[in-house]
Amino acid sequence: MLSIKNLSATIGDTKVLKGINLEIKTGEVHAIMGPNGSGKSTLGKVLAGHPAYLVTDGEVLFEGRNLFEMEADERARAGVFMGFQHPIEVPGVSNAQFLRLAYNKQAEANGREEMDPLEFDDFIREKIQLVGMRDEFLDRSLNVGFSGGEKKRNEILQMAVLEPKLAILDELDSGLDVDALRIVGEAVTALKSPDKAILLITHYQRLLDHIPASHIHILQDGRIVKSGGPELAREVESRGYDWVKEETTAVANQ
Amino acid sequence: MTAPALSVGDCSLLPDLLGASRPTGWPGLRKAAESALQHQDLPTTKDEDWKYADLRGLKALAFVPGQPETLDIKGRILPEARGTRLVFINGHHDPHHSCTSALPQGVRLLHLASASEAATQLGSLLKPDDSDIFANLNSARFLDGAYIFVPKNVKVETPLHLLFMSHANEAATFSQPRIIVVVEPGAEVELIEEYAGNGTYLTNSCVEIFIGENAELRHERIQRESTSAFHISNLRAKVSRDGRYHSRTISFGANFSRQTPQVSIQGTGADVILDGLALLNGTQVADTHSVLDHTQPDCTSHQLHKAIVDDEARAIFNGRIFVRRGAHGTDARQQSRNLLLSEKARVDTKPQLEIDADDVKCAHGAAVGQLDPEELFYLQSRGLNDQAARNLLTYGFAADLLAHIPVTSLRRQLRHAVMERTNATDLAADLGEMA
Repeated sequence: MLSIKNLSATIGDTKVLKGINLEIKTGEVHAIMGPNGSGKSTLGKVLAGHPAYLVTDGEVLFEGRNLFEMEADERARAGVFMGFQHPIEVPGVSNAQFLRLAYNKQAEANGREEMDPLEFDDFIREKIQLVGMRDEFLDRSLNVGFSGGEKKRNEILQMAVLEPKLAILDELDSGLDVDALRIVGEAVTALKSPDKAILLITHYQRLLDHIPASHIHILQDGRIVKSGGPELAREVESRGYDWVKEETTAVANQ
Repeated sequence: MTAPALSVGDCSLLPDLLGASRPTGWPGLRKAAESALQHQDLPTTKDEDWKYADLRGLKALAFVPGQPETLDIKGRILPEARGTRLVFINGHHDPHHSCTSALPQGVRLLHLASASEAATQLGSLLKPDDSDIFANLNSARFLDGAYIFVPKNVKVETPLHLLFMSHANEAATFSQPRIIVVVEPGAEVELIEEYAGNGTYLTNSCVEIFIGENAELRHERIQRESTSAFHISNLRAKVSRDGRYHSRTISFGANFSRQTPQVSIQGTGADVILDGLALLNGTQVADTHSVLDHTQPDCTSHQLHKAIVDDEARAIFNGRIFVRRGAHGTDARQQSRNLLLSEKARVDTKPQLEIDADDVKCAHGAAVGQLDPEELFYLQSRGLNDQAARNLLTYGFAADLLAHIPVTSLRRQLRHAVMERTNATDLAADLGEMA
């Protein structure tokens, strides 16, 4: 589904990604882990099409299409979703209005039936159960005055509405307490399907207790330095990131 | 009377406005205003308070008094105020379109020329020798207007609607409405004051508001004059102990508009909201000079003034808040937020706090900027293209201020108007019918 080859990117004069290679197939859940500043959030933003980053080398194919020939909104309509670490507040536009607008833009692009407010109302009320949100959240302005945890739930609600093929979830666990993390984790797990894929970006292993990942990648200094199965995440949890660094340095020096 | 001396070229504004014979009623007030006008002249950009307000367009025109005529007001009717509406056409009371059949007992909604009881209040806040020449012109020659009186402890359920419509063909016309609002202790009322029209004309209105102890006035001020019109409005409000004055001024219209609301808090525990929104494009200019005067302890005030400025338009905000000696426990917040949509659009904003009391909470700030790239990216990442994302953010910036308008039909009307102004109409179907 997603094929990243030798991807390098800069922001301003800073090289952030330095040759990333990654293959994600349908049905898989991948986790990019790494210390702060390793470039993991940048990877998500580059894939989603953030205009501040410049791709300097490499290519990314999404379902065979060159991702970098598509604008951010085209990528979204093609089925790439990014759950933000810090979702943006938009006053004056209610959550429900925004969700329906986004849903219909996507439906229109993919030749599906658009929904009128009444149809959407039924649809959305079912979806919010999934993330344990109260109905009143639909009438409030998009993310305005939401707590950190509520914003994250709202991101997952958007994911549930848009049903993306590839969901990139950036630091989903930050700002979540234990209960919220469990609810959000269950919601994401429920949205998993054999024809979709998820890319988790996280600092901590605890997120993976709730959303089991099949593939773990350790990102350091803009490169994937180690890949493995779930056991790799547990190793990071008990030993931190430094040992990976030492090991990599040792390998490089051999 | 003798016409005031003129110094501004061939400007005929003062003789045009004063040339008409003195309307009947209130001779004392009119005479006093006339004598004050002897010593006043139209402001120029050399006057500090009019620094950014170029009145040359206004000064170049010749004005004749507006005449009564029949206008279609269908699009302006608010179902909630069907029986609580006063309509004025070109400054003249229009009995045909006015309807006050649904007024609760004791509540008065009268056209001013028929309201002799207004004598106590008329001219007491906007005195005939005001420093603003336009206020004095109104005092000297206002023809009619509205008198609103809500007796003690009466809570009016239906909103009151004042609609001032203007229409000018070849000759530019003027009207000078005067409005008196008296809300007695414990009473509550919602007032909509709306201006609209077609053609080139001048509206020069004056509003005097008296809010009694523990009384509440919610005041929506809608300025959607024609884009070749001039709109000048002076407002003075006096708020007593535990009184509430909550107002919102929404300005879409006029080639040049000037709002001068001055609110004086004269009792403890009072609460004032003085919000504003200006949506400007073309060569429109909207100038707001506000004063909020805290003279008593333990009062709160909030002022959020927003402007969206496109093309070569210009927004001016000068908001002064005074916290007088002894007004301890004051909580005053003031924000001026401005969105520039083009390179030639311009905003001059100056929030000012003058504090002479201790133990107060005061904050003010101003922001002028373009749309935030992170916000745009967020919306794009949800499938909205660049233009749709820009339009939605602009719409939201404005619509945020409309959310609290309690009159549903008005709120919808204004949201729709904002959508049109922010080019968000293509989003209208998707955003759906908004409550």
